[in-house]
Amino acid sequence: MKIIVAVKQVPERDAPVRIASSRQWIEESDLQFAMNESDAYALEEALQLKEKVGGEVVVISAGPERVATTIREALAKGADRAIHVECDDIGKRDALGVARLLAEAIRPENPDLVLTGLQSDDLGYGQTGVVMAELLSLPHASLILHVEKTDVGISVKRELEEGWFQKIELPTPAVLMIQSGGTRLRYATLMGIKRAKTKELRKVNAADLGIESAPVAVLENISLPHKQRSTQILQGTAKEAAATLVEKLKFEVRVI
Amino acid sequence: MRGNPNRVLWLGSVMSLISLTLAEPQHFSPWEKLLLVALLIASGSLFWRRFGAVLLKILHSKKDSDFHLAPLGRRTWNFFWEVLCQAKVIRERPLPGLAHAFVFWGFCAFALVTLNHIAAGFGVGFLDPHGQIGQFYFYLAAAFAVACAVGILGLFIRRFLVRPKWLGKRVSYESGFIAFLIFALMATYLASFFVSDAAPAARGLWWMHTLALLVFLPIIPHTKHLHLILSPATIFLSRGGFSRIPPLAGDEDFGLVTGKDLTQLVSLQAYSCVECGRCSEHCPATNTGKLLNPKEIILGVRGYLNEFGPASDAPTLGKYNSQEAVFQCTTCGSCEYQCPVGIEHLPILVGLRRGAVNTGTWEDDHGSKLFLALERGSNALGMSATERDKFIQKQQFPIFDGTQEYCLWLGCMGAYDPKGREIVADFARIMSWLGTSFGVLRKEKCTGDPARRLGNDLIFQQLAEANLETLAQNKVTKIVSICPHCVRTIQEDWKEFGQPPEVEHHSEFLARHAARLPRQDHAANHDRIVYHDPCYLGRYRNVYEEPRTVAALAGEVIEAPRSHQRSFCCGAGGGLVFLGEETGDRVSHTRAKELVATGASTIGTACPFCNSMFRDALATTGEATPQLMDIAQLTARALPQDGKSNGSANR
Amino acid sequence: MSGVFVVLEDRDGRMGRTSWEAVAAAVALARQTGTMANAIVLGAQTGQLASEASKRVSGKIVRVEHPLLSRYTADGFSLALEQFIRAESPGYLVFPHTYQVRDYVPALAARFARVLIGDVIGIEDGPVFTRQLMQGRLSGSYRPAGAGPCFVSVQSGAFRAEATESSSAEISTFGPTIEPSQIRAKPGEPFRESAQTVDLGSAQMIVAVGRGIKEAENLPMIQDLASALGAEIAASRPICDNGWLPIERQVGSSGQTVAPKLYLAVGISGAIQHLVGMKGSQCIVAINKDPEAPIFEVADYGIVGDLFEVVPALTEAVKSTRH
Repeated sequence: MKIIVAVKQVPERDAPVRIASSRQWIEESDLQFAMNESDAYALEEALQLKEKVGGEVVVISAGPERVATTIREALAKGADRAIHVECDDIGKRDALGVARLLAEAIRPENPDLVLTGLQSDDLGYGQTGVVMAELLSLPHASLILHVEKTDVGISVKRELEEGWFQKIELPTPAVLMIQSGGTRLRYATLMGIKRAKTKELRKVNAADLGIESAPVAVLENISLPHKQRSTQILQGTAKEAAATLVEKLKFEVRVI
Repeated sequence: MRGNPNRVLWLGSVMSLISLTLAEPQHFSPWEKLLLVALLIASGSLFWRRFGAVLLKILHSKKDSDFHLAPLGRRTWNFFWEVLCQAKVIRERPLPGLAHAFVFWGFCAFALVTLNHIAAGFGVGFLDPHGQIGQFYFYLAAAFAVACAVGILGLFIRRFLVRPKWLGKRVSYESGFIAFLIFALMATYLASFFVSDAAPAARGLWWMHTLALLVFLPIIPHTKHLHLILSPATIFLSRGGFSRIPPLAGDEDFGLVTGKDLTQLVSLQAYSCVECGRCSEHCPATNTGKLLNPKEIILGVRGYLNEFGPASDAPTLGKYNSQEAVFQCTTCGSCEYQCPVGIEHLPILVGLRRGAVNTGTWEDDHGSKLFLALERGSNALGMSATERDKFIQKQQFPIFDGTQEYCLWLGCMGAYDPKGREIVADFARIMSWLGTSFGVLRKEKCTGDPARRLGNDLIFQQLAEANLETLAQNKVTKIVSICPHCVRTIQEDWKEFGQPPEVEHHSEFLARHAARLPRQDHAANHDRIVYHDPCYLGRYRNVYEEPRTVAALAGEVIEAPRSHQRSFCCGAGGGLVFLGEETGDRVSHTRAKELVATGASTIGTACPFCNSMFRDALATTGEATPQLMDIAQLTARALPQDGKSNGSANR
Repeated sequence: MSGVFVVLEDRDGRMGRTSWEAVAAAVALARQTGTMANAIVLGAQTGQLASEASKRVSGKIVRVEHPLLSRYTADGFSLALEQFIRAESPGYLVFPHTYQVRDYVPALAARFARVLIGDVIGIEDGPVFTRQLMQGRLSGSYRPAGAGPCFVSVQSGAFRAEATESSSAEISTFGPTIEPSQIRAKPGEPFRESAQTVDLGSAQMIVAVGRGIKEAENLPMIQDLASALGAEIAASRPICDNGWLPIERQVGSSGQTVAPKLYLAVGISGAIQHLVGMKGSQCIVAINKDPEAPIFEVADYGIVGDLFEVVPALTEAVKSTRH
């Protein structure tokens, strides 16, 4: 199977965020970057599928120069080759813009499967994969935990709300959005990193793909949210505190 | 058995009284000489067939890329002390050790005797039993022979009648036979004093002695007695240091993956193993019913070399050693510390781990989680770095800016673990009280100790290099840390990637300032403190007295049954604290019980990991448990309270 | 392009709370544009759903019906709504931000060269939509640009569902054209994992117990609380070490890592080995008699008190609120 995995490089999960003076994004100068978490699961699922049925795993990512480190990490973990869509203004594009870029780069590859993570840790639109499927006119499914090859296509396990699951049969080629946590991630090994040095990394310039980039939903302003996490100590006797807690659980947390 | 010189005098005087001399048969016939030659050739070639093969295996192993003959001084001293003086052999197991020492010294003394014995068979003996030199030498040898005979008898009784469990369950017939041969050699020698040159008995004894010799010779390389020849070389050629992990050599080196990766030192050490079981005797894993047994690891490498050889592609973790066993090691170092023949277990164990981890064949849920946490973040616990920032702010620690004397290294435990934080806060309070200037770094990454001990060289290199860069940028010259793992990794393991600054453990710092620290009223507080030596401070760094000096300020320091070099691991090391559940008994619980049984009112620790392990262990041993306090907390409790610190609450 | 349409979502024939919250958001949006909020229901038999909707929505109710919509598929729902949008040209389409919506609405929006402004937590004048970035650490304001309908989905709990009086909402039907070959995926029946193994990882609520419980005999009290809440029971390491609970229930660095909606830590001090296993929980409540216990630093709500008093009181309170 030829599997393409689209990954995104995002700021490190626990990095302290400072809003840029333009108020349209965050200060990137001090940041460390890492592979988006659900994309790492997508890559893992692709590698496990390749180990089972054979084929090729191609990793693709769009972004500026720094994205190359994340791509090499994917190669080190076992992807066979990579495509870097060089794009310096990737942060200004919306999900439609990014999906168009990736779809154009993917189209000539004619993959059997396209896997990508459910949503990104930074913007969190959770749409790029679905839009890619639409643009490539391929069937898709999201919140996937596990993929298996069948005689007529693939069978996937999808997560539903409240602890339910569902099996879906799809023809290939198809696009899948992978949910975090479905399997154990592999760690990057020294051997992997050394081997990655000789794997193909093809660069494609975004301008050459001829995609317009004006967003249709403009991120005008970034601010700090009003609510910060702080501990509320509930006062009173055991009975009083218990009653207050139940109130909170019912109306603020909304679990009962 | 003691007082060897007296015995020589006594025997000498007895012998001179009855004029005993060593009988030397004369006039061997040409047939006898021919027989002797034939036997010599047979024995020699049987010996060489096996010994040559072993030697070839060792020589054909991969060269150690980091081996240097210098410093010769250290090597020579080790040889003198450990081989000639048998220091380790005697110190770690005194009685059997002494018995062995006598056997060894006997062999040494017999070198010339044996040579002369064979030479005499050809009529060219060079030591005259009637001459002064000859007589003196033979009497000396006789004294050693008695000691050796008594020694070997004692060891025989120990192995076959007393049967200590560290020698294994299986009765070793080969050991018994060799003991018999040695005894025979000594007995025939001594008996020769009581017969005359011409008597047929002399000839008979001569041939019995010769037979014993020539049967012994080929047995040597076929059994663990290979150590007779190899171990002096092993000790002389050892890596040095303690738990010295060699750097990987080149792009294709991932650790000890296959036979091709076993280096000459590893092979030499594997063939030197005497199977004495001293390493297993003190291993925390072996003592708590786990699969891991350090002796079996070394013998496993030897078995691999015997079957597959040093050019094989067969995996080292396969038939002879298992991945499961190798990942049960806490790297406490008891094995390497004990070994009387110079085997360095830790580089081999970590080497085997490297082979599995660097190639991705180690698939462990917790291990992967640990590596991913270190890949993505700055600490081994997977916590957000903002938690460390909050802690620094709350404690109002000064930030290191190049003007302060010390950089206080928080480490993962000091920055994120509630207990570790208390220890750091108390130590910082002491430093302030002493007027020592210090600052903490804005950003710290894990020193990489768990990655290094588990064999993940990719992550270790990334962490070491990133940290060295941060230290250089901030112009740090001196580090002090509450964690022996951080101290060891920074000082030794980072050397592979750069120049770490000076680093010391807080016990060393506090001991130096002990005169200025308040002495607590022992009579009033009745605090009996049992101090637990952390592996990475004790065996690894040889720091035993300083923490005791500090603890002694706070209360009466008492010792656990196993202390100092014999201290029993808490179970956290080797990355194990980050891995899943153990099989068998818990190492930490075993040690905690031992500490509690001393009747101490406080368990004194000097490592945040030991502290954490005992905290969990004590939680399950019921109500009346001793306090658990780091030496920093014990010291800080006597300082005046101020608003800033957490205080040293005993929880 | 005009009109605000909220697309309601049902599960097994009943509207979820999230749909009514989406209605509230649609109403707020409609007020800005000076119109009324209308609703759409999709399915094979939507009569019941439509009449339920008509009691809560003041504008039109459109029943988009087709046999091939009996079960949710991305292709089916996208096709149906695409045809509706082309026919009616609504200005805004409002959805609850559910797994289902995330699965098809982005594709639907792309057909109109639009994006879904998803997981919205607030609607300001403009309209300008507020959503969270960087896992909730930042807020971003989005303004739709260009021509075409605006697709918005709202976060569960961000808008409060109002109870409106019943109004005579006009109900109409829209029948899309869908061929079976256009539905490419074959969804199976929803199922749950087997209940034998303890899977703390997928539990929505967890009650965890620590050393403060003192003895195994006291565990039933915790079990009562867990049953009242419908939560799973978990424990910190010493409890499992003692064998009071099986090892599968251990949460922590050498046990399971969990991130439920609610994590109730009873008598747990909050040592690092435990924290790393549950710090990702959405809401953490701690009950401990030690006000300095580290668990309070990560808790959203805390009760400093004797758990032997608080836990029974809490169980009572939970039971009575459920009845």
